[in-house]
Amino acid sequence: MPLHDMHYQHWEGVHVGIWARRWVIAKNGLAACLQNKVLRNVVVLCWGAGLGMVAALFIVSQLLVPDSMVVKWVEHLNPALQTFAQFLTSWLHDHPEISVRATQNVFFFYCCTLLTPAGIFALGVAMPLLITRDLAGGAIVIYSSKAVTRGDYLLGKFCTAFGLLGLTCLGPLCAAWFVGNLLAPDWRFFWHARAALGNILIYGLSSMCILSALALGVSAISSKEKTTPFLWFMWWVLGGFIQPIAANTKPWLRHLSFGYNLDQIRLATFRLGNDVKAAQDNIPILGNMLNGIPRKTMQTLNNPTLWGAVAALLLMLAGAAWVIRRRVRPE
Amino acid sequence: MSPQTVIETEALSKVYGQQRALDGVTLHVSRGAIGLLGPNGAGKTTLMKCLLQLQPITTGSARLLGREVGREGREIRKRVGYGPEENCHIPGMAGCEYVTYCAQLSGLPFQAARQRAHEMLDFVGMGQERYRKIETYSTGLKQRAKLAQAIVHDPEIVFLDEPTNGLDPKGQAQILELVQSLWKTYGITVVLSSHLLQDVERVCEQIIIIARGRVLVHDTLENLKARKRGAAEVVVAGRHHELQEACQRRQWPCELLSNGHLKVEHNADSLNPLLNVLRELKLAPLEIIPSPNALEEAFVQALEISHAAA
Repeated sequence: MPLHDMHYQHWEGVHVGIWARRWVIAKNGLAACLQNKVLRNVVVLCWGAGLGMVAALFIVSQLLVPDSMVVKWVEHLNPALQTFAQFLTSWLHDHPEISVRATQNVFFFYCCTLLTPAGIFALGVAMPLLITRDLAGGAIVIYSSKAVTRGDYLLGKFCTAFGLLGLTCLGPLCAAWFVGNLLAPDWRFFWHARAALGNILIYGLSSMCILSALALGVSAISSKEKTTPFLWFMWWVLGGFIQPIAANTKPWLRHLSFGYNLDQIRLATFRLGNDVKAAQDNIPILGNMLNGIPRKTMQTLNNPTLWGAVAALLLMLAGAAWVIRRRVRPE
Repeated sequence: MSPQTVIETEALSKVYGQQRALDGVTLHVSRGAIGLLGPNGAGKTTLMKCLLQLQPITTGSARLLGREVGREGREIRKRVGYGPEENCHIPGMAGCEYVTYCAQLSGLPFQAARQRAHEMLDFVGMGQERYRKIETYSTGLKQRAKLAQAIVHDPEIVFLDEPTNGLDPKGQAQILELVQSLWKTYGITVVLSSHLLQDVERVCEQIIIIARGRVLVHDTLENLKARKRGAAEVVVAGRHHELQEACQRRQWPCELLSNGHLKVEHNADSLNPLLNVLRELKLAPLEIIPSPNALEEAFVQALEISHAAA
């Protein structure tokens, strides 16, 4: 007599494809991340910042509507700000193809600067959920014994990190761009602001790929849940400290910071120097203000150390790949 | 490779640094309940891992379910289940989520995966514990969860590495009963790795005994049990010399052991010739211990090889 009721039925359904299985890994990882309260709060904050961006874009675009509340509010400002707002209004009105592009490019550059650290922070919190816990629980053996390869597993985990960055950085930025321009008084804003969207996507996607791969590498360093977030945050914070110190002594040391390297990529992508020049040429009052920008800052805006940053990031990615190759295997 | 052959290896070797974990293993294994028997460190787990491509093969070749190992990993593993010896789980998941996830990783759509996960957890006898986090499970529950995840996608062959480790006798009996039913009732080929002879004897029809990375024996349990060396140990109160001389006259090698037993190789299938000699001598034996069967002998040999190496 059996010790308990046994019932086994063979399954005769159709298997799903490999991309569906990879998606399962990514989705499961992302769901685990969103079960974490801190990460949920970070995501909410980022989308809150996205709402703030929409509001700011709405206010700028309302300068073109003669009877709008924004225009009336501008009339109550002090004379200097009023003059600036009027110049901006006339610039927006007369040269929307340049003004919308330049305004939104500068605006989204700073939004990227704001949201990238949020993404890096989120990755640090999510670090144990990427590979660390799987190493601790021996889950790599389970994954490897199923119909997925190590590559599929890593791709799934990469998509988890990528998805998390999408929720904290790229998602709010793209949504803000879309809704901000949707609320603009003229449909042509979408067309004029296309360069800003392109820059958001180029910088956003490249930085997300880089950060996701680096995060996987750090997450695979140890199977201890406290070690990997510590390493990630230490790298980030120390990099931030090194930057100003190394700037005057050994500038190449700044490339040890992935944050600095991403800054250079952002500068190279958004090319703010062109926008500053456009503003100087078209709004005299703004031109006078921008003339006060130190020459060194302008040099940084115009000539970021892109290739140094790319080379440093490639080396970091190679290091991450080496760690993953050594650590993520079913032994 | 015949359709009945599930595992085929040719001179399969696996080397870790200086250590040779598998040494030229050649096997042709047909469907059934297969016992992989050997002492700890014999190479059982390594053989399983090589077949599942969890470890790269150093030299030689292997085919599993007719497919080349090392080339068609995903396709092979879609049809294969594996319950590892060590505690492997995905932290943070409840038992039913874990088994559902494993089914999805094997290619089942979500609805089917969830349904089968619950069916398999019922099958392995897990109750409401399935809703608890897997890290909180006892050893017995973990073994059940491992078995459930190994069969949730309805594999053709399932590899179970020491599935009764850490279980009490009742738990062992339940798991072995389940494993036995997989082949006998449901036709799923089972490869059961164990260092316990009685576990393998109870469940398996084919036996592979491994020691120091080499296959010592591969045969059916029936053949191994039937095959006996015509030998016995005779315990007599005295007159050892008379019995020794009588045996030597019949050209039966015999030896007086240190425990006072006389080991006689009578080379017959039954003990009758030996009993006839004792009758002729009017010698009443205190005990006659027939020689162990080939399975026991091979297992003892494997243990001795392993101890000698250690």
